[in-house]
Amino acid sequence: MNYRKTLLATSALALTIFSGAVLAQDVARENTVIFDLDRTIQDPENFNWMTPGTKRMHGAHQTMWEPLFILNYNTGELDPWLAMGFESNADSTEFTVTLRDGVEWSDGEAFNADDVVFTTNIALTNEDISSREASTIKAQVASVEKVDDLTARFTLNAPNPRFIVENFGVRIFGSFLIMPEHIWAGQDAATFTFNPPIGTGPYTFSSAASNRAIWDRNDDWWGAKTGFMDLPAPERVIFLESGGEESRAQLIASNQLDAAQNVTIGTFEAVQAQNPNVIAWHTDYPYAASDPCARQLEINTTVAPWDNANLRKAVANIIDRSQIVNVAYEGTTEASRTMFAQFGSMAPFIDAVVEAGHGLPASADVAAGQALIEGEGWARDGDYYTKDGETLSVDIHVNSASTEYTRTIDVIVEQLQRAGIDAKAVPVENGVFWGEVLPFGAYEMSYSWLSCGSVNEPWASMGRYTVKDVVAVGERSPGFNNTSRWDGPAAEAYSAIVDDIANRQLGDAEIPGLVAEAYQHLDAEMPFIPLVQAAKLLPMNTTYWTGWPTADNYYNHPFFWWNHTHQIIHNLEPAN
Amino acid sequence: MGRIPKAYLINRLVTLVLTILIAATIIWIIPRLSPVDPAEIALGRMAAGAGAVANSEEILAQLRANMGIDQPFLVQYFKYITGALVFDFGLSTAAFPTPVSTLIMNALPWTLGLMILSLLITFFIGNLLGALMVWDRSPKLVRVAIPVAMVFTSIPPILSGLLLMWIFAAKLQWFPLTGAYGLFVEPSWTWAFVQSVLHHGFLPALSIVIVTFGFWALGMRGLMIGVQGEDYVKLAEAKGLKPRYILYRYMIRNAILPQITAFALKIGLLIAGQVLVERIFAYNGMGKLLYDAILNQDFPVIQGVSYVIILITALSVFLVDLLYPFIDPRIRHEAG
Amino acid sequence: MATQDQIPPTRAERRQARRIRRFDNPWLNPKLLWGAGFLVGIIILGLVGRMLWDLELVFTGSSPLKLPPIGFENLRGQPGVLEHPLGTDGGGRDLLALIIIGAPNTLFVGLLASLIGMSIGIFLGFSAGFLGGRVDDVIRVGADVMITIPPLLILVVFQSAFGDVTLTMMALLIAGFVWQSPTRLIRAQVLSMKQSGYVQMAQLSGASTGHIMFREMLPNLVPYLFGSFIASVTTSIVTAVGLEVLGLGPQRIPTLGRTIYEAINAGALIQNLWWWWGLPTLLLGVIFIGLLLINLGLDEVSNPRLRRLS
Repeated sequence: MNYRKTLLATSALALTIFSGAVLAQDVARENTVIFDLDRTIQDPENFNWMTPGTKRMHGAHQTMWEPLFILNYNTGELDPWLAMGFESNADSTEFTVTLRDGVEWSDGEAFNADDVVFTTNIALTNEDISSREASTIKAQVASVEKVDDLTARFTLNAPNPRFIVENFGVRIFGSFLIMPEHIWAGQDAATFTFNPPIGTGPYTFSSAASNRAIWDRNDDWWGAKTGFMDLPAPERVIFLESGGEESRAQLIASNQLDAAQNVTIGTFEAVQAQNPNVIAWHTDYPYAASDPCARQLEINTTVAPWDNANLRKAVANIIDRSQIVNVAYEGTTEASRTMFAQFGSMAPFIDAVVEAGHGLPASADVAAGQALIEGEGWARDGDYYTKDGETLSVDIHVNSASTEYTRTIDVIVEQLQRAGIDAKAVPVENGVFWGEVLPFGAYEMSYSWLSCGSVNEPWASMGRYTVKDVVAVGERSPGFNNTSRWDGPAAEAYSAIVDDIANRQLGDAEIPGLVAEAYQHLDAEMPFIPLVQAAKLLPMNTTYWTGWPTADNYYNHPFFWWNHTHQIIHNLEPAN
Repeated sequence: MGRIPKAYLINRLVTLVLTILIAATIIWIIPRLSPVDPAEIALGRMAAGAGAVANSEEILAQLRANMGIDQPFLVQYFKYITGALVFDFGLSTAAFPTPVSTLIMNALPWTLGLMILSLLITFFIGNLLGALMVWDRSPKLVRVAIPVAMVFTSIPPILSGLLLMWIFAAKLQWFPLTGAYGLFVEPSWTWAFVQSVLHHGFLPALSIVIVTFGFWALGMRGLMIGVQGEDYVKLAEAKGLKPRYILYRYMIRNAILPQITAFALKIGLLIAGQVLVERIFAYNGMGKLLYDAILNQDFPVIQGVSYVIILITALSVFLVDLLYPFIDPRIRHEAG
Repeated sequence: MATQDQIPPTRAERRQARRIRRFDNPWLNPKLLWGAGFLVGIIILGLVGRMLWDLELVFTGSSPLKLPPIGFENLRGQPGVLEHPLGTDGGGRDLLALIIIGAPNTLFVGLLASLIGMSIGIFLGFSAGFLGGRVDDVIRVGADVMITIPPLLILVVFQSAFGDVTLTMMALLIAGFVWQSPTRLIRAQVLSMKQSGYVQMAQLSGASTGHIMFREMLPNLVPYLFGSFIASVTTSIVTAVGLEVLGLGPQRIPTLGRTIYEAINAGALIQNLWWWWGLPTLLLGVIFIGLLLINLGLDEVSNPRLRRLS
């Protein structure tokens, strides 16, 4: 008697649960493109990108907010988007930006220089916002003025030929996004939630929860009306949170994702085996695309015995970059030849350095390294080198947030150990790594990517190691620059050349030569050792959409959480 | 059934308040023992993505002001305690300026709804199976199968979650792979929504049930063994009552009492313990909120979530202690 | 009578007789023996394994990546080899070496945390029950407070504050969360025993507190203590593995939980690298079955009603 009741109840429940809950979907799957989101949207109701949190990369700055320019990683050129072009004065202290005519916000208001001036002034005056792009504007811009409806002029605090690229060109990740004055005026920029948000982009905000955001196409988009570009093909764009590598792999293999975040090569091959429509940047090894933040080993030049440049060079000789590529990355990246990220746009500078003989080999020369060590008076006693009773040892700090990092350091530790240096890895938690270890020089050697910056010109990276950023150990290195505290006559010579490069216009023909000249000092002293390129293996699914960016279709790079994703979405075509 | 003696009630209330106060203070202190400055973490996050950060000193000062950590410790502590009483935990620093209570309210329904449900299911199944292990009228198969199934306790819940995901969500596609409810469903009191929640919550709940029912079963088994030899059971058997009736009304009902106390205690542990299951299913409950907050050094959220957990656990223990004698008349309210 | 004695005992009868003899010693029941056997087996695996197998293979990059156990093939078509009979993981570490070091480590953490926790629990439980009054109140509130604090918080913060934890450090931290149960248990028992006859007799005859505690009460508590100990070991190991699987345990020392963590993060399920997460899980299963059997066996020791002849 009781049994029947329980049986009935259980089967009713089971029926409920099992009858899949796919409900009213007014847009078909083949008209929707779904991107992977690797973090939680903590506050789905807040669209103020000038405050911390996931406020942009869940689709806002990929579909709704457009940048002024987009840097093309292949050609190194700035593609105009909301702006048409810019001019600067001779010493790069004034920049005049010309906006495109006919741009509209999705509520019909015109987008013009008023919005640009207004948003820039927020960055210059509001003390409570905290975003990287806003603080860069604050540091660089003295004032901004409207020349006419389509023209704005920026006056800078100091010469900066890279001003437009750095702030408005989606150089890395995002850009300084212009907000609508007619909505933001009178609001406190630190607490305004900007909900419902509007933008100039072809998509408008539809709905969001902590694990997804949905954007629907606005067929009234200014771009189609003015003939700038056709309406993008997808009617709906969704950013969906995945639960880690396994979840992500299953989702894309079962066609519930069209583009996924980084996976390891083994996972990618397994996904491809299940779903042959999944592709990557390259069609074969290394599969992955290079990320701007090339990996390196930072050395604290103030700590003995590593304050001796020859010992640092010795370590550079002992490190076998191709073994790192094979073991830590399983072949999905390339060894670094210089400190720069190896994009097409950086080729002139990389080539200049390599031709001058300062390029790094992919394999090791352990004998040469050991010769350098012995030349400094160390002798091998058993497993390790010793001198005056002291063993040659080093602690290498590494960020434990990803196995990519820890595995790289594990390989390096092995290589050093075998060559006679008692190396040890010291994993630290992410927060401690960025908060304590790196900026204060609290390390002997550390894994890092602190040359990150240059993607189309050399100063952004090179300028991070000048003597003006040298502080004592225990004080914070400004802007995470020169945490290795490289100083001395070679460093000063290097800094002088780099300061020269800083003020030259982009595209100046003398720059590659200067780069090679400055690099000789870096090569001689090695305050850091470039290791490998950072790689992102991003699976893209061609079941519903084609037109993804690949090495063969290099209209720009594939990092779809960046502001330039507008280009990707416009390039997508339905698969049938 | 008598009334609760005043002395006992006061004693228990004092314990409750003290427990909450002390625990809340400890969780306030502990993150601050870490040598890292949350403002530095936030700055580091900015740098990690993209290279140099201009104006670091200014940004740090701003962040510190926003986070309220530039105040002296006592001031911060006082603000925290007075705020906690009215459930105002300040503003999150990782998702500034969203109030912490908003974040908690977003996550709480998922935790309470799903996890309490799975705890209830585990409680019933585990205790029933534990009882069946001991009852001499259980089929031999059942008696052997249960200890074998208890081996599942050794599997970390994330593994059971991943396996279930792999088999039932990826291969068979009976259940969804991520999320707490469907993509196109809005939270509301509609049948569609409830169905979506059940559909999405089934695998996460099951993965927890599989690995935790063993503990309840084992505990229940021990208690049942104690009860089996009691006189009243023998009397019931002698009276000729039906065996199943004896099992439910006499044996289980008496043996289960300590388990109820244990249930109250487990609630708090459950929330923090489900972090990984929440992560792999992108099920954004309190466990995940706490974990992310700890990694981001988001003090206000850490304090808020921990406080809620402490409150729920302490209240459950209090209620159980108070109501226990009404459930089991053999126990009397004894002050201390 | 006489005729019975002259017929030689049958096989079945001899078995019966053996069982009866065993019945006399409750400590030799099969469950307890098997359970202890499993755990001892793990320890032996660790000791003997260290001598017979090359432990250098536990470092990253020491072996080819992702090899399957002998007799199987992986997704890339590579077969298992004799040099790595249980296969290798995604970082080039030998599974057998990982298990030889990891399984005893996991057991060690559980035992150590439990021992410390039990010791604290016994001390506090006795003090609370025996001394009563303020001491009891303080201990009771202390236990309640510790129960309400989420362990995850404390352990993650410790990890981020002090960097990599050692096994012992982790055991100590976990011990901080397992002492409440023994305390409550002992306190309750002490309270009920305080009322019993023999204790009051001892008090009347002027025995010291210490004598009463250790000579009168403790022996009666032993079965409870044992059961509680085994339960704490299980809880400790579950907590430790739970933390390791989150990535919070020792990072340089192989443990079973850490291996599972790395397997999960490297997508071992979709790449069908079942040996990478399966073998540590199997070892965990063995440890838990061992503990479970010991638990069931101990129940038989303390509760004669459970003993069976067959």
